[in-house]
Amino acid sequence: MNELLSVKELEKSFGDKHVLKGIGFDVRPGEVLALLGPNGAGKSTTINIVSAALQADSGQVLFKGKPIRGQIKTYKQRLGVVPQDICLYEELTARRNLSFFTSLYGLHGDDLEEAVDRALELAGLADRADDRVKTFSGGMKRRLNIACSIAHDPELAIMDEPTVGIDPQSRNHILESIGDLRANGMAVIYTTHYMEEVEAIADRIVVIDHGSVIATGTSDSLKNDYATSDASLEDVFLKLTGRTLRD
Amino acid sequence: METIAIQARCVTETRWAGIRRFGTIFRMDIENDFRNPVLVGYNTVLAVLLILIMGSLVGGLFADQSDAFAYYTITFCVFGMLMTCTTAANSFMERDIRRPNLRIIHSPAGAFPIHFSKTLASATFGYICHVGLLLVVCPLLGMSLGESPLLFVALMAPVELASAALGTFFCCVFRCEETTNMLLSTVVELMSVLGGTFFSLDGMGDIIAGLSAASPVRWLDDAFFRLAFDGDAALVMPVFLGAVAVAALFVAGSCLLFKTEDYL
Repeated sequence: MNELLSVKELEKSFGDKHVLKGIGFDVRPGEVLALLGPNGAGKSTTINIVSAALQADSGQVLFKGKPIRGQIKTYKQRLGVVPQDICLYEELTARRNLSFFTSLYGLHGDDLEEAVDRALELAGLADRADDRVKTFSGGMKRRLNIACSIAHDPELAIMDEPTVGIDPQSRNHILESIGDLRANGMAVIYTTHYMEEVEAIADRIVVIDHGSVIATGTSDSLKNDYATSDASLEDVFLKLTGRTLRD
Repeated sequence: METIAIQARCVTETRWAGIRRFGTIFRMDIENDFRNPVLVGYNTVLAVLLILIMGSLVGGLFADQSDAFAYYTITFCVFGMLMTCTTAANSFMERDIRRPNLRIIHSPAGAFPIHFSKTLASATFGYICHVGLLLVVCPLLGMSLGESPLLFVALMAPVELASAALGTFFCCVFRCEETTNMLLSTVVELMSVLGGTFFSLDGMGDIIAGLSAASPVRWLDDAFFRLAFDGDAALVMPVFLGAVAVAALFVAGSCLLFKTEDYL
């Protein structure tokens, strides 16, 4: 199968701390890959390297078979990153935020307006498009945070805990939207601590801990391999990563 | 929920795309500066008030009250230009600006436009504010900028740029808005006191005169005073070249020291 993204043997240290110890996984076109791990497992570092914001000490990230280091601009053009924090201009309207961030990907004129309108629809914010972000609820900001990252129609979206601290309606909307994006061919790397979200949207799951991949598979295969078929994904996760409290 | 297909056209990167993108980021940075009431007030209203207050309070030390206003118009204009470094620090590191900047890092724009655009935008913002200040204050106080007012305002541009570049560079070194602002304010205020911004140090002895002569603020004040009051442009070129060199040095330093990891 042709992988859209291949992550191979990533190693990264910060000072004496060896954070990534040979992380590797693949992402296929149109698939939602959940990246799970307890706090401090190495998820954020992995995501920062995969999104080309941080350089690995060794290892490779291949996009369509080619190292991203040799094609950074092209790669970033086809990538959408949803940061864990709300990264929006609060004083600007939703439309202006979308327009600004999407224009960074080279869209302008009618193409830009169409992309912004579609993203507003996707986020369920078309009727609040011209309101300032600072007047939005937490859920609306989260939806706009995602919309700003995917309005340029990337082939791969990286979503770092995009549903933290929001109401069930907004969470449901976001999960349905991700399903729509997948149906349109977008691949998604998704990190979360909510196991029910993973069961709802993930095609495959990669569990990492202490800087290494400790399990890979579908939700069902992980249950079969590491617990019983009637166990929950959370049971599997706790079995794999232990019950010791993390930082 | 209605299913919406995102079908934005894939755009091929052209040689102009980077310039267009930089222009977009620069415009946003300028807007952010002008949307900040503290920055606008500090660079305009506060400066006018300081000129009026100091001119009135210390007017007796000058031959004529209008001389006092003229003196403080120029010294506070120079002070404002130097304090543009704190505007740059604010634009670069302030939390509400810093977070959206993370998206610029993730976009094809990359790292350079983040710090360079902040430098350019802060310099432009400061320049507009301080030229605006002169346009208001000079007619109000009946003073002129000499025979070459255009040369006077033209000379302000590289000074603003050097100051903004210094602010950005400090951010890249210290990576913290509070520390950077504290250090920059202290340095600029110390240089300004020594340079005679708040009160003239002439006649306070050789040691003070020596320290004052060593302050870059004094050099700038001299250049602008001589241009405005004596029609003497001898210091224009040294100040222009010096400011451009300082700006280039700090921009290069920022390129070397700015790490996207600091934003993550």
